[in-house]
Amino acid sequence: MEYKIEKKKAPGRKDVEVLGATFEEGKPEGEELGKWRQKLESREEKLKYLQSGERYWYGKDWYGSEKRKNPA
Amino acid sequence: MAEAETKSIDNASIKMIEKAAADGANTAFDRAETMKPCPIGAEGTCCKNCGMGPCRVPLPKGKEETPKEKKERRGICGATAETIAARNFIRMIAGGAAAHSDHGRGVAKLFLAVAKGEAPGYEIKDEQKLLQLALDFGVTIGDRSNNEIAIDIGEKALAEFGKQEGEVLFLRRAPLKRQELWRREGIAPRGIDREIVEIMHRTHIGVDQDYRSLLRQGVRASIADGWGGSMIATELQDILFGTPAPVLGRINLGVLKRDEVNLIIHGHEPLLSEMIVVAAQEPQMIELAKSKGANGISIAGMCCTANEILMRHGVPLAGNFLQQELAIVTGAVDVMVVDIQCIMQSLTTVAECYHTKIITTSPKAHIPGAIHIEFDEHNAMESARAIVRTAIENFPNRGSNIDIPKEQTNLVAGFSHETINYLLGGIYRASYRPLNDNIINGRIRGVAGVVGCNNARVKHNENHVTMVKELIKNDVLVLQTGCSAIACAEAGLMTPEAAEYAGEGLASVCEAVGIPPVLHLGSCVDNSRILMAATAMVKDGGLGDDISELPVAGAAPEWMSEKAISIGQYFVGSGVFTVFGATWPTLGSPEVTEFLFKDLENICGGMWAFEPNPIKAAHLMIDHIDKKRKALGIDKARERILYDMAMRRELEAA
Ligand code: SF4
Repeated sequence: MEYKIEKKKAPGRKDVEVLGATFEEGKPEGEELGKWRQKLESREEKLKYLQSGERYWYGKDWYGSEKRKNPA
Repeated sequence: MAEAETKSIDNASIKMIEKAAADGANTAFDRAETMKPCPIGAEGTCCKNCGMGPCRVPLPKGKEETPKEKKERRGICGATAETIAARNFIRMIAGGAAAHSDHGRGVAKLFLAVAKGEAPGYEIKDEQKLLQLALDFGVTIGDRSNNEIAIDIGEKALAEFGKQEGEVLFLRRAPLKRQELWRREGIAPRGIDREIVEIMHRTHIGVDQDYRSLLRQGVRASIADGWGGSMIATELQDILFGTPAPVLGRINLGVLKRDEVNLIIHGHEPLLSEMIVVAAQEPQMIELAKSKGANGISIAGMCCTANEILMRHGVPLAGNFLQQELAIVTGAVDVMVVDIQCIMQSLTTVAECYHTKIITTSPKAHIPGAIHIEFDEHNAMESARAIVRTAIENFPNRGSNIDIPKEQTNLVAGFSHETINYLLGGIYRASYRPLNDNIINGRIRGVAGVVGCNNARVKHNENHVTMVKELIKNDVLVLQTGCSAIACAEAGLMTPEAAEYAGEGLASVCEAVGIPPVLHLGSCVDNSRILMAATAMVKDGGLGDDISELPVAGAAPEWMSEKAISIGQYFVGSGVFTVFGATWPTLGSPEVTEFLFKDLENICGGMWAFEPNPIKAAHLMIDHIDKKRKALGIDKARERILYDMAMRRELEAA
């Protein structure tokens, strides 16, 4: 995905650049309500999601609370 | 109070219990009245494992047992009450683990047939879950087709059942500390079938006669269920039928339709019912139904098959275990098709009072008096069409004695672990972080898994609903499966509006995320999803390194099946404090009970408790959650005032 950079005013400073929202606009409706897995279309996207979204098991370098340990 | 009102809290069920009495249909509610449980068997101190027995070794009533009496309290073979109670208990685990795991095996066989192109009508629906399992099982992905990958996964999954050495593969999904504990304690299961068979061997006359050793084997077999057979069933079903995502459904007997053909799908496997759902939508079937005077075909589910098709298709759910006979009593069910598990043999007898046809479909589950249309995965659509046709043909045979209760409730189902992860963070930041943060900051006190059956010995649905309301009132987020989920959905606890029953903290989180305070995770094999959710909470960090450190608890307040004992034992074996209601099957041996309720905590980090009063049981869970919060050092957070945006603005304006 592409990250959007937004300019915001910060108190006591000039404009700052912040990372914009990453959620999709609008609300799902009708049949599509709740069906989120279809959004991942290609195999690459799906594998990437496993590595990021399901990183607790499939992330290469991130084990959450177990980060500091050797994998069993 | 009318008599029926003492038997259920659900109005639709009360009406049908009354109608059954008027129609002369004998139900489980009547039988529970006329037949009391055997007090010796209920406490686990009756053994019939050999032809010298049955031997009954009950605790003396109303007096302390002398050491001499205790020494003499044995079976003919010399087995003590401890041995007998422990054997009985782990044979229940074997029965439950076998049921879940054989279900898993059935799914794995179908899965392999689909991968090989030998099961027309089925397909791989969730490629992402397929890839996930390929990573779990070490199957090469590369440029291979989904079917090629699936063949390898199917073969590896099937091999898990008959594996003799090593470890069940999904154990690797558990927190690292948990895996180490299982290995250290010698309770990591080697293969699924092996541990179940070993229970049967150890409990044969004259084999394992130390209750501690017997009970440890019970833990090992139960882990083979939760992290093995059940998890395989859940994961492969997700690949074949789709990983559940939130879906709006309706529930209770009011979903039956007076003017349409009513076909109820009951049992536990979604394999055939998925096809029935498709067959019932075929234009020629709808035409046939119209030619018989019906306005359409209405499919409704019952028990866990219902949970499966509800969360994937939004198919309405007619009720839970104790409502299966009552659905027929409406007089409006044209066919009830059943697969496996929790199907009352009396369905055919109740059906004799009405026009309903009972169809059995599993080669493993026949019932005299039922029609048998065997499910054949190679020709599933044909079996499905034959069943739908039978229902349509039976529509004109309905009698005039029809009464469909109007009660039905909305619910949101389909909260798989993957969906919870997604809902909490979105597609780019899926995460359990918001849940953990809200537990740490105290808005959510903890998480409870409330699962399990109905039990005709307790008021239908009462314990489930009372316990869950008490938990959410105290800011405990509740995850549910099975008949317990159905009970709470019927009581309206599975819609976002149910946040009104929740404590302020939990309600605020539910509102922000847009989820109900009580989440429906699926059928009883889907308790494996609760294990995954708990593991994700551990791995996300901030709440300890193991499931046993989390502020979580489990319960089955109306349990009755051996499967529930296996589930409870794998919750405990995974580190969760678990409270059962209704009855407890080892009370005849204080030593065995003590081992399960206390000593197991030193081995597994989790332990059992028994408390029939649902409010007291909920407070045992809350106390345990608070104990874990204290150990994590997050107990103070709950006392802090949490400022939301509105409060901050007010402060600034002041
Ligand atoms: S195994 Fe022992 S306790 Fe059980 S029935 Fe036989 S003799 Fe009695």
